[in-house]
Amino acid sequence: MQEAELCARLADYAAARMPDASGVTVREIARITGGASRQTYRFVLTWTDAAGRPAERRLILRRDPADSLIDTERRVEFEAYRAFHGTGVPVPEMLWLEEGAEALGSPFFVAEEISGFQAGTGLLFAPPYVDTLPDLGRRKWTILGEIAAADPDALGLAAHLPAVAPRDCWRRELDHWEAILDSDESEPLPVIRAAIRWLRANPPPPAQKVGVVHGDYRTGNFLYDDKGQIHGILDWEMCHLGDPLEDLGWSFNPVWYFGQGRPGGLLPREAAVAAWEAASGLTAAPEALHWWELFACVKGQAIWVSSARAWLEGANRDPILVYPAWALINAQDRAALKVMGRL
Amino acid sequence: MTPNASQVLADLAARVAANAAPDVHPAARAGELSLSALLLGLLAQMWDGAAERLTQENRALRALLSEGAGLWGETAQGRWLGELAKGVDADLKISTLEAANAELKVGLIALHAEVERRTDPAAKALEAKIWSELAAGAERRKLAGSPV
Repeated sequence: MQEAELCARLADYAAARMPDASGVTVREIARITGGASRQTYRFVLTWTDAAGRPAERRLILRRDPADSLIDTERRVEFEAYRAFHGTGVPVPEMLWLEEGAEALGSPFFVAEEISGFQAGTGLLFAPPYVDTLPDLGRRKWTILGEIAAADPDALGLAAHLPAVAPRDCWRRELDHWEAILDSDESEPLPVIRAAIRWLRANPPPPAQKVGVVHGDYRTGNFLYDDKGQIHGILDWEMCHLGDPLEDLGWSFNPVWYFGQGRPGGLLPREAAVAAWEAASGLTAAPEALHWWELFACVKGQAIWVSSARAWLEGANRDPILVYPAWALINAQDRAALKVMGRL
Repeated sequence: MTPNASQVLADLAARVAANAAPDVHPAARAGELSLSALLLGLLAQMWDGAAERLTQENRALRALLSEGAGLWGETAQGRWLGELAKGVDADLKISTLEAANAELKVGLIALHAEVERRTDPAAKALEAKIWSELAAGAERRKLAGSPV
């Protein structure tokens, strides 16, 4: 769909949801590069309100591509954002969810744009941001602890996510991601298969609680400023109920160290665990956390091989799908070897 | 190297040509070209050493499978590993080497699971060799700028 047509159809869609507005237009639409599972655009919505005053708002459109790195339900992502909006966990406000393909050719949602902050990791390790990394790291793992502490029922989120018993959290996740490896891998993965055998032979204890798991909580998926503050937690598309240690393990995946030698490139591991434990009220028992860190390597590899599969099948030839396959599959193997003490 | 480099290069060529059109939005053009450049940079690192790396790895895997075949003895699994271990890399096309590598890795995964299960010293010694080769393979494939 060409840009002009996308603007027109998006304006029509918004106008139908704003009965008091007239002259609804979409302008300054621009694709944000980097999203491999959704196509993300920023745009400005302008209209005239019921009193005849001109108004505008900066918004984000997240639209499903033909095929993506991660197959997820957009409703899960939408409801997760909506559940945490207005809590201590900063997220953008959700406006509209469209699950049909009629309006824009594929499902999408529209959300508030939180503007003026950074998300990319390229700027983090140079001034002025590099001096804020300890504060940013403490904030990052404190917010993750707050997500772990949240009550999915009280948030209204439990109704949208499949339930799981504390003793079954690990098995459900491992089964899920192993099945994706089975279906999507285009070359055998001896390191990851060995990791899976170890994980099955050495299961973790039951989860201390079944909580909200963000599913992709890492540096690069939040909006930060130059004061070490976080203004938006993004990319909730893999949100589910499960063991809160899963998110902590994922945040410790060595592929997210960015060559800095510490989790997320931000904070020593002990400090990150301390911030998470203080905010969550939970304990990160070393053996249990180790299990989830190795699981994170399996999950990461499943995502990278899915990316290659999506490209190979041809429905989506976005070059961003090739990058994980070429740059991260071996890095993820290396990460798994390190977590297993083999490298 | 999956997806295959030839396929990706053909796709990038078309993509770069499409972005030469004057009506492409500057932000979209910047995004596509920067990603294309990133992939070309990765390919530049992988390309020259790919055949050598694959032949080294295939040789190492065949040695492990040969040892594993001896350990397994006259069983279907032992004969299968023995057959895999007999191969040679006569054709140096990267796609052919990669296909052989994939076959050998299927054998390695089966052998690794077997030696993990067994407790005899010969199996444990072979398990240690397998781990060494897995680490060595990850070293061979490491790219400059790898996050790990």
